[in-house]
Amino acid sequence: MSHSTLAALATPRADYSYAFLDAFARRELRRRTLKAIAIPGYQVPYASRELPIARGWGTGGLQVSLALVGPQSVVKVIDQGADDSVNAANLRRFITRMSGAATTTDALQATILQSRHRIPEEILREYQTLVLQVPDPEPLRAVQSDSSRAHQMHADADYGQMWLVLYEQLVRYRQYLQGASYPSLVNGRYVISPSPIPRWDTPKLHQAAHLTLLAAGREKRLYAVPPYTDVYPLEFTDVPFQVEDQRDWRCRHTGVQHKFMNELPLADGSAGYELSDSGYQQKITAGTAPGATYYDDQGNFYHDGYLKPPVRPE
Amino acid sequence: MTHPAFTPAEARQRDTFLALMWALSYPGRTATLPAGDALAGIGEALLDLETTYYTPDAALAALLARSGARRLPPDRAAYHFYPQVDAAALADIALAAVGSMLYPDDAATLIIGCRLHSGAALRLTGPGIPGEQRCQVAAAPELWSLRARSPFPTGWDVFLVDGLQVVGLPRSTRLHVDAL
Repeated sequence: MSHSTLAALATPRADYSYAFLDAFARRELRRRTLKAIAIPGYQVPYASRELPIARGWGTGGLQVSLALVGPQSVVKVIDQGADDSVNAANLRRFITRMSGAATTTDALQATILQSRHRIPEEILREYQTLVLQVPDPEPLRAVQSDSSRAHQMHADADYGQMWLVLYEQLVRYRQYLQGASYPSLVNGRYVISPSPIPRWDTPKLHQAAHLTLLAAGREKRLYAVPPYTDVYPLEFTDVPFQVEDQRDWRCRHTGVQHKFMNELPLADGSAGYELSDSGYQQKITAGTAPGATYYDDQGNFYHDGYLKPPVRPE
Repeated sequence: MTHPAFTPAEARQRDTFLALMWALSYPGRTATLPAGDALAGIGEALLDLETTYYTPDAALAALLARSGARRLPPDRAAYHFYPQVDAAALADIALAAVGSMLYPDDAATLIIGCRLHSGAALRLTGPGIPGEQRCQVAAAPELWSLRARSPFPTGWDVFLVDGLQVVGLPRSTRLHVDAL
C-alpha cells in the first residue's frame, strides 16, 4: 500500500440532495400537493420521510416547505406566533442550511410561511404559501376512532356526528366549546381540522388570497385550502361561531388591541397581555407601518358579515 | 453558509412544479413553464419509478420512459400526456381514471397541448377564483362534456399547455362553455 493517506482512503465528498429530501421524496410530495389543491380539504396520503427532527415537531410542514423552497425563497417560520421560539428557530435554520433561502420575520416579505398554531395578523396576498403543521389531521377522530370508517364518512360527507357534538355542547354549556382546531367545512364538501390555530385564525382561511397547505408528518396526510375557497366553521344558523373574546385585552408592549394575545401571569397574580404575532409586534415597536390586518383596530373582520354577533341559546 | 447544490435539473423541476402548483391554485390564470419541451419537462418534474404514464405520441413516450415510470394503457395510467386533442386522444381520455368517492386521489392527471387565447370561451368558477375567471381554449368541445361526466370530488385534473404557458383546471373548477 503505497498511498495510505487519509484523503486517498476516504470516499469522495457527497452532499445532501438540495433541500435535504431526495429527488423521489420531493417529487412524491409535489405530486401529492397538486392532488391536495385539486380536491380542497381532502386528506391525501403521502410517504412521510424520516427527517433529523422528531415526528410530531413539525415534520409534515417541514417536508412541504422543503418541497417548495428554492435559493430565491424568503422563509418565515413561526411557532404560536413567535419567530424566536426554539422549534421555529430550529426549523428555520434547517430549511435555510439545506436550501440557501433567505429568512424574514415580516409576514408580507415571506414567500413561504411555515407555522405552528397561528396565522399572521397581516393579510397575506396572492402567490404566498402558508404551510401549517398538523398534529392530527382527522377532524372526525373524536367521534370515530377507526380511521378507515372516518375515511368512509368523508366519502359520504357523513358529518352528522359532528353536528351532534356541537348540539350537545349547546345543550350542556350553551356555547361551542372547541377552542383550537375548530372543524371547518371547505368548499362545501370536506370537513377539515384547520390545525390547532385558535378560533381567531379560522376565518382567515375563508376566501383568502394565499394558498394554504396543511401537512401531518406522523399521520402522513396532507391537504390544502386553495386561494379564494369557502371555509366555514361548523355552526348552527341560529347560534353563530364566535372567535375568542379579547376585546378588553391590550398589549403591554405596544398598547395594541383587537389582535390575538398571549396571556401572561404577572407577579401580583393579575394577568398581562402581549401580541402573539411577534413579527407584527416587531413592526409596531420599530415604527414601521404594518400591512392591512384581518381584524381592524375596532376588531371588525375584513370580510363583512362573515362573523356574526353572538347569540346565547336559552 | 454553503448549502447542497441547486442543480440545473432541480431548478428546472422546481420551476415546473411551481408553475403547475400556481396554475392549479388559480384556475384559468396562465403560469409560465421553464424553457424547453413543455410536456417532457412536466414529465421530468412529476414522473419517476413510482408513477405510471400514458401518451399516444411515440417520440414523447421515449422521452418520458427515461424517467423510469411505467407506461400503462389509458385506463390505468396516472399521468396522461397528449400533444394535441384529436379523435383518438378523446377516445383515450374517455378511459382515464376519475377516482372514486372513497379515493378521489386515484384520478388521472391530464396534460394536454392546445391553443390558449383562442377558440371556445370558458367561464370558470370555484376554488381559486374570486368571482369568475374567463379563459379561451381551442380544444375539442367533447373534452368538456367528458369532463362534466364526473361529479366532484371525482374527475381528472387538467393542465392545458400552449408553448410555455400552462393553465390549470382542477376537478373543483366549475366550467361553463360559451357558444362561439
